Amino acid sequence: MTKLSRQRLHVLIEPRVLFAAFTLIVLAVVWGATLYLIDVERANARKAAAVSTSDQVQTYGAQVVRAVREIDLTLKVVKYAFERNEGRIDLATLQDRTLLPSNLVFKVSIADRNGMIVSGMDPALSNNVSYRTYFQQQRQGDALAVSRPQQETDSDEWRLFFTRRLDDESGYFAGVAIIAVGADFFVSGYDVGKLGTEGVLGVIGDDGVFRARRTGDTVVYGEAVDYAKTFPDADSEEGRVTLTENPWDGVSRYTGTQRLYGAPLTVVVGLSQAEQLAETSASARTYLWRAAAATVVLLLVVALLWRMMRQLARARREAVTSEIAHARQVEHLAFHDGLTGLPNRSLFSRMLQQGVQMARRNNRLLAVLFLDLDRFKHINDTLGHEAGDQLLQEVAARLKSCLRDSDSVARLGGDEFVVVLPELADDVYAATVAQKIISAISRPFTLKGLEFRVTGSVGISIHPQDGLDEETLTKNADIAMYKAKAEGKNTFQFYSDTFNAESLERLTLESSLRRALENNEFEIHYQAKSDLKTGQITGMEALLRWQHPDLGTVAPMRFIPVAEQTGLIVPIGRWVLKTVCLQNLAWQKEGLSRLHIAVNLSELQFFDEHLLHDVETILESTGMEADLLEFEITEGMLMRDVQRTLRVLTALKKLGVRIAVDDFGLGYTTLASLRQFPIDTIKIDRSLIRGVTHVADDQALTEAIIAMGKSLSMTVVAQGVENTAQAKILREDACDEIQGFYFDRPVPAAQFAQMLRARAALAPDIGTGSQPVPAKT
Amino acid sequence: MHMLARTGLVVVALMLGAGPVVAAADVVAVVANKSAITRLTPRQVEDIFLGRINHLESTATLVPLDLPEGSPARAEFYATFGGKSAAQLKAHWSRLIFTGRGQPPAVVPDIETARKRVATNPNAIAYMDRSAVDASIRIVAP
Repeated sequence: MTKLSRQRLHVLIEPRVLFAAFTLIVLAVVWGATLYLIDVERANARKAAAVSTSDQVQTYGAQVVRAVREIDLTLKVVKYAFERNEGRIDLATLQDRTLLPSNLVFKVSIADRNGMIVSGMDPALSNNVSYRTYFQQQRQGDALAVSRPQQETDSDEWRLFFTRRLDDESGYFAGVAIIAVGADFFVSGYDVGKLGTEGVLGVIGDDGVFRARRTGDTVVYGEAVDYAKTFPDADSEEGRVTLTENPWDGVSRYTGTQRLYGAPLTVVVGLSQAEQLAETSASARTYLWRAAAATVVLLLVVALLWRMMRQLARARREAVTSEIAHARQVEHLAFHDGLTGLPNRSLFSRMLQQGVQMARRNNRLLAVLFLDLDRFKHINDTLGHEAGDQLLQEVAARLKSCLRDSDSVARLGGDEFVVVLPELADDVYAATVAQKIISAISRPFTLKGLEFRVTGSVGISIHPQDGLDEETLTKNADIAMYKAKAEGKNTFQFYSDTFNAESLERLTLESSLRRALENNEFEIHYQAKSDLKTGQITGMEALLRWQHPDLGTVAPMRFIPVAEQTGLIVPIGRWVLKTVCLQNLAWQKEGLSRLHIAVNLSELQFFDEHLLHDVETILESTGMEADLLEFEITEGMLMRDVQRTLRVLTALKKLGVRIAVDDFGLGYTTLASLRQFPIDTIKIDRSLIRGVTHVADDQALTEAIIAMGKSLSMTVVAQGVENTAQAKILREDACDEIQGFYFDRPVPAAQFAQMLRARAALAPDIGTGSQPVPAKT
Repeated sequence: MHMLARTGLVVVALMLGAGPVVAAADVVAVVANKSAITRLTPRQVEDIFLGRINHLESTATLVPLDLPEGSPARAEFYATFGGKSAAQLKAHWSRLIFTGRGQPPAVVPDIETARKRVATNPNAIAYMDRSAVDASIRIVAP
């Protein structure tokens, strides 16, 4: 409940809600105030109009009453004078004595009992008025009468006749006193300033006939209306004001009426509603326009602010989005292989862990498939890295196409790919996928416009039988992959407990070695031997290197044992010997100095019955000088079978080649026993040389070996000389030659030749030099 | 046809209008020789006769005297001073009388009476034909 209301509160403080609420409130205030103001002004205007009407009714009523009373008073004066003088009356005299009102407006006349005008100042009046209604009326009655508006002739003005009866001394009807007044006299007080042009001012008789009614400059005479209906309130003491639509012209007016005292007349005052409220309506319109303008401005401002806010929000959102995208990209880079976009080793490791957990929980199988391309290195070497990269990308794509969405594939580096198949129902599926992968890989690739075929070997390990954890599963899949390679490549292999990783590797190497010679995968590197006194290169040692197409450079200590075990060492040795001889001769032909060349003989080679024949044949076929060739055998081999060794050595010496004992000083051979062998050179083992500067025993032994070698006229070579300090001590001990990484690393033939050429150019200077010149690395 | 008729009407109207204008120049406002007033503007004369003012500076209440309705001098006088017709004059006085703000000037029967009354009353002011002016009275306007 509280949570809900808090959510509602959050909605309330959301910017768009706040904006809308703010706008609505301001609009409500603006319009409320405007409408209220208009309403108040309207009410005030209505009230003012009503009050004004009421005031004017009173004023107007008073004016009419005064005028009527003055007229009546004049009539009474005339009546008095007439009756006092027994019908003889001179109005001019009354006029002179200012007993009569202004003749300009009030025309006084007297008619006798027959209606004949006997005295008067009204030239417009006809001589006989006996037919007039007022004359007939006064014959019967004795009260002030006010006639309806009348014209003597059509062109004459409309006039009202105020009359009173005249009596003779006996009280009989003797005539009528008449005062004619222009009807518009009674509406002459019309003031546009107060009544407007649409107001009304009028006098109406009890008979319902307007004596005069004026609106603006228009005066209407003698119009009859339904008195009682039109002025229901006229009889009331205080004239009331009502807003009514006047029946005579259909205009809505604040209409006030007042019945006059002492005369059968009612005054009517009206103020036009439209006219009186026009100003208010105009200001109301102004207010409404202003409110509308304010609304528009407000809406514009709000819209503008709203837009700015949206833009700000969008910019902020975009910033956040790009930050997230960047973070994702960084994460992606951290967990994916840049080349193929596949998960890398660390992500794979995590995925596999999860997969193993899931499989364990659901009691299902899980397969790890290790894929290694069989000829990747070859392609990389022959077509270049770009093509290699392209191949890897293509392989990644093909792998993905072989898999379900739930499966995952990763690149562990180089040409190694690994696939995880989680939630397997049956391991047959793993075999199916492996076969699918192999087929996919073996389809031709187009690289640099050329078609290539690549094969792959797949090793499979299954959880749980081949391992319960990620590490074991990976390792075993790897082993299974080696097995597949050994089985002849382009195939897959399930892991089995009987596999042994090392034997598998050996299998692989063995199968590769068989083809290595044919494929020209071997290479000879040369390491220089230098004269310690002159620093000149006196010879070199030939060292075998193997560039395996898939495994890269394979160290001799890994493949030589395999070669020995399989007997492959013999043909390989033959190839080495021949290659070395040809190389030496080539250099000599080039004009470089005659150099000794040392070739290692393994135990198997040494005791091979064909050795002598092979050496003889090669020397003959190549034309190599025998005394430049030196065979190196190990100290251990000397003592294995002394008689046989002696026989071989003697035979070799007969051919003219030199014999060197390699790795000497490890303690197997007594110095004395060396005498019986025809040995030309002893090479002090690198382990002794390493200690020669600071280990007393090593120094003493080295010294002794050198001394003994000298006494037997042997050349003494120090192996593994790595600094000048070692070289200095050896020189003091009169060691002949040195060989070591510090001075000359083993290098390919082309590079070695280059070095020889460089030395040859410097040779004259080196003759006196005590320091060997380090080779370029 | 119509054009011709209208042009004819205009000519007639001009001829009719020209007569009274020429004659109007001969009606003058007069006061007594003894009066303090020596000169009045036509506007002052008009205001006095229309009841707008009833005295000038340093004079007592003025008594304007009118000639009877219909007399030629009266029509000419009001046409000259203020340019009002008889109907307009009547409407003017009707409004003043009705609203109680004034009464029209007293009416004397003829020019002779007017002259006598002016001559004897230093506060009186009247109008007449210039030819009717004698030494007892003084012309103040125009």
